[in-house]
Amino acid sequence: MLEPIIQNNVVCHALEAMIFASIACSILGVIISRMNLSSIGFTMSHAAFAGAAVGMFLGGNPQMAAIAFSMAVAALIGPVSDKAKMAADATLAVLFAMSMAIAIFLISYMEYMGHGLSASSLLFGDVISLYREEIYALAAVCILTIIFIMVFYKEITALMFNMKIAEAAGIRVKLVYYVLLFIIALSVALSLNIVGGLLIFVLLVTPASIAGQFCFNVKSMFVAAPLAALLVSAFGVWAGFEFTLPVAPLVALLLTGVFALSVVISFKRRINTKIH
Amino acid sequence: MSVINLEGIYTAYEGGEKAVIRDLSLHVDRGEYVVIGGPNSAGKTTLLESINGLIKITHGRATVCGLDVSFQADEVRKRVGYVIQNFYFDPFTPFTVEQVVMMGRYGRLGLMKRPTKDDYHAVKKAIHLVGIEDLARKTIGTCSGGQQQKAMIAHNIAKEPEVMMLDEPFSNLDFSAREYLQGVFKELVRTGVPILMVAHAFDGLPDIPIHLVVMNRGKIAHDLNCTAGEVECIIRKECGALDKC
Ligand SMILES: Nc1ncnc2c1ncn2[C@@H]1O[C@H](COP(=O)(O)OP(=O)(O)OP(=O)(O)O)[C@@H](O)[C@H]1O
Ligand SMILES: [Mg+2]
Repeated sequence: MLEPIIQNNVVCHALEAMIFASIACSILGVIISRMNLSSIGFTMSHAAFAGAAVGMFLGGNPQMAAIAFSMAVAALIGPVSDKAKMAADATLAVLFAMSMAIAIFLISYMEYMGHGLSASSLLFGDVISLYREEIYALAAVCILTIIFIMVFYKEITALMFNMKIAEAAGIRVKLVYYVLLFIIALSVALSLNIVGGLLIFVLLVTPASIAGQFCFNVKSMFVAAPLAALLVSAFGVWAGFEFTLPVAPLVALLLTGVFALSVVISFKRRINTKIH
Repeated sequence: MSVINLEGIYTAYEGGEKAVIRDLSLHVDRGEYVVIGGPNSAGKTTLLESINGLIKITHGRATVCGLDVSFQADEVRKRVGYVIQNFYFDPFTPFTVEQVVMMGRYGRLGLMKRPTKDDYHAVKKAIHLVGIEDLARKTIGTCSGGQQQKAMIAHNIAKEPEVMMLDEPFSNLDFSAREYLQGVFKELVRTGVPILMVAHAFDGLPDIPIHLVVMNRGKIAHDLNCTAGEVECIIRKECGALDKC
């Protein structure tokens, strides 16, 4: 999509992927931080990992299997927390452990049988060798996220405020919550190939935390978080290729740096000491 | 037909040893001011949440505004205001009082609909009625406990409900706020909206006929009509704290 501007195909793909991933994850990150759902990052990264292992085991495409398995886990989060009467947080932990068990089981078994499994791109991400389809999928999920937030803005903000009060107001809390969990999980699953499971939190939590330092209002957070993520990650991709540095960790460090800076200069922390 | 009809309902919490509410029947008509009293853990909150379907009714039949609560709970909740007993909003909650009041209308607006002029007008009216204009732009988490309670009352008034249920709405309010809001509710009753008020303190009840429901151990111990002045003694008797009567 950016080919006319950027000649180098690899840089171009990396930049596009990073932009879409950071926008989708950081917008959803505002919701995730407010609703204490950040363990969704762990769960989805390991679900993708388990999916890749299943794909390899069955002799299919590990990437596709990773996405399919993550979507299945994503669809389970809501109904399982409901049936088990648990906080979504605990459900995420249970599904995380299950995914990890499946992955380790299959990997150990395959090693035993003499096959190796390279999982490093799922753990660390890999912006260099992205498929065109992956970028389209990311673009689609990014647009889906934005549309979802705009269409269900009322309901989502009410859920972020207080689930019980939202339900008493007559909002169809369960429906919106399930769809929300599914979209978060989907975005995370698709972003894994870019930043990897270990760094996904940087896109999910850090931009929202940066926005939280300055914004009193949820609307401005939904704008500020993706803006911060977009600027920093675009700069990170450029700097990474310019100075041959690993892109994903560089973006992570840059975002953390911006967060630290925003904590220092945030006016929200200022205490008014005037007497008159 | 009455606005609220409960016919021998049972309500149980998941995992609870037995039903909390057992074989309870209650009828509330338009324009009634219902006071619900009784000792702690009698089942007052559970009763309110059975009426708007937040808790499932296991046996019996409940209709509210002509809707069956067991099958149309979402629809019932759009029409029934409910000020919950306990809430806590942390100081970083990114919503202003005005936005929270508007959320009261979100359910009845329905999915994918945006607030219109009418909605903003209703919000403004509710904020004015409760007397919290000065808080409208303040974030809710930085309001005092009483201010938050007023905001939740405004949230439910903005909803323009057909039934108003309040679970100890005055626990954090000062004398003048209580008396003033009782006046607001009296006016609401006059327009035909029945009020169900759970309370432990009965000063400032409006001077209108009261439909008193006293609960104990998940059942209704008394269901009678009385005056505001008689309420306290009847409930004290049920709670075993008679020395002031
Ligand atoms: N979520 C729950 N799970 C299981 N049992 C519950 C739950 N909530 C309430 N109960 C039980 O139901 C009974 C009735 O509780 P309820 O909250 O309705 O009492 P109440 O009359 O509102 O009391 P209070 O005056 O203290 O508010 C109590 O015995 C309580 O232990
Ligand atoms: Mg109660």
